Amino acid sequence: MTPAPPRTKTESPYTGVGSFGWLKWALPVFLVLFPLVASDLVLRRTSQTLVLVLAVLGVNLATGYTGLISLGHGVFVGIGAFAMANLLDEMNLNFFIALPLATLVAGFAGFILGLPALRIRGIYLALITFGFALAFGPVVRRLGSITGGPSGRPIDRNIDPPAALGLPEGWYPEYRYLISLIVVAIWFVLAKNLVDSRIGRATRATRDNEIAAVVFGINPTLIKSGVFSISAAMAGTAGALQAWLFPFVSHEQFGVFLSLRLYAAAVLGGLGNIAGAIYGVVALLIVNVFNRIVGAIGSDAIVFGLGLIVLTYFAPHGIAGVIERQNARQEPKPDEQ
Amino acid sequence: MELFIQRLFDGLFNGAIYASLALAIVTIYRSTGLLNFAQAELATFSAYVGLVFAGGSVGAGFGGALPGTGLLENWPGYPYPVPVAVLVAAIFGMVAGALIELVIFRGLERGSALALVNVTIGLLIIVSGLTAQFFGTSARIFPELFPAGFDDFVSIGGARLRYTTLGSWATLLVVLGLLVLFMNRTKAGLAFRAITSNREGARLVGVPVGRTLMLGWAIAGGLGALAACLTAAVVSFSPFTMLGALIYSLAAATLGGLDSPKGAVVGGLIVAQAQTLMPAYLGLPTELAVLAAVIVLVVVLLFRPSGLFGTARVERV
Repeated sequence: MTPAPPRTKTESPYTGVGSFGWLKWALPVFLVLFPLVASDLVLRRTSQTLVLVLAVLGVNLATGYTGLISLGHGVFVGIGAFAMANLLDEMNLNFFIALPLATLVAGFAGFILGLPALRIRGIYLALITFGFALAFGPVVRRLGSITGGPSGRPIDRNIDPPAALGLPEGWYPEYRYLISLIVVAIWFVLAKNLVDSRIGRATRATRDNEIAAVVFGINPTLIKSGVFSISAAMAGTAGALQAWLFPFVSHEQFGVFLSLRLYAAAVLGGLGNIAGAIYGVVALLIVNVFNRIVGAIGSDAIVFGLGLIVLTYFAPHGIAGVIERQNARQEPKPDEQ
Repeated sequence: MELFIQRLFDGLFNGAIYASLALAIVTIYRSTGLLNFAQAELATFSAYVGLVFAGGSVGAGFGGALPGTGLLENWPGYPYPVPVAVLVAAIFGMVAGALIELVIFRGLERGSALALVNVTIGLLIIVSGLTAQFFGTSARIFPELFPAGFDDFVSIGGARLRYTTLGSWATLLVVLGLLVLFMNRTKAGLAFRAITSNREGARLVGVPVGRTLMLGWAIAGGLGALAACLTAAVVSFSPFTMLGALIYSLAAATLGGLDSPKGAVVGGLIVAQAQTLMPAYLGLPTELAVLAAVIVLVVVLLFRPSGLFGTARVERV
């Protein structure tokens, strides 16, 4: 008599909490030691990449874990960035106070804009969030006193490290990189704990079958509203960090294509998988490098879009899904041990 | 009063554009249940392809000649009259639409909402890349399709109804008439209506579902291309112009009822009038009219998902 085969990760349609594999230890070590070897320019680019990963994680939390298709997370990145610009520059606040405040502002915006998601789902929610993304640019251009209008606004105050640290100016890129890394890492730990917790199971239950979730005593209203706000806050932190790293904000940075790129990266990396956000942004970077080699204007978009379509057909759980399938194959089966 | 009529007329042109684009979106939605977010990008690309035939840019300082025009310079009769270019654009849009259905969406007939959205966004990103690759990203001025000079208007009650507006609506109405005839008088039209009312039933009685869906996509592609050409003939046209119109078209389609062609046209008119009248009479800044479109989108989907003319969705639980 053979015992029932153990359930492997690949059996469930979504891979649940997701595993980092060897990345779990290698990536943090690499990232912490990275400033020792990297030039200032590379560090700046990497800081920006970390910020992008955070925004993609926000999309993943809403779309992947809770099933709220969001084509509009670029809006929250933008709100976080413009909030940060005003908090630092106009209100003259310290970075460490402004960052959580900007996050809260974006989270609150997410709560308000996420209200339709309580009643509308699937492709209609995609429609509404796409509408938000399309409308954000024109609205920002109009609200010139806050956003700098069509030309954007620079941020002049409170962007340097605190004077108490006594850092020489040459170390500023390292400082900014490490702060970004810490903030992004905190969000990753929070997100991982959230999706592993009771709330995380409730979000997945709501995503897969809302009525069954209600029967089990889950309050979908609370779950959807809460998770959408948190995911918007995450995107807002990303925007705030971006505004601080490159102290200039304008509507052009937060147009509809930012939202779509974030969504595409989340899908490519693997929805419903924390590590998927990293894979998705890595894919985005590889495509960008390809673009620089080919030297054609739109080629990165063409490759990225093609990747999205091909993956939807052949690997619906994204790059993370492919990697986990490989890992599951390599693991020895229990009865062979 | 004169001013009021003038404002109504001003909104009419945008109404034609929004109605065409909304009609394209509705045509695909009612046959496949898919919201084609890439419609504006497809329309833009088709219009550029067509307008290469018309000789590209005529204005100075707007990106110069359209890339690709050089290929055609030795063809007899080049540059071709604008109506020919528009026809080429529409045919290109139709062929592209049909091919997209065949290659990309055929395999997803039973796909989840998530899969459909993913593929649509992938398509949008690809086509935007293709447009940037082939035609650049700068704004251009295209030759006029209808006389658009300073004196080219009909005066009604002191207000000016411009020839471009009249011509756009005439074009749209002719196309609509042909579509209605096609849907009600031909076998392919009958097959299309059968699929929109019950796809599985239609398949069982032998309607070629795939081919008919291709037809729907072709119609949508053609309508979108037409909308983009009408726009390009009037305003300076960049790859992002139609994206600006897309939010209003989506609002128009939703307001009219996502599965109602009549609703798309009426919705297009209402949204366009709201866009011109609200800033004028409520003192809203012009750019914030876009907020009205978003509010229409949200409110209609929340409280009356079937819109003005659509059929109510019934969800089995």
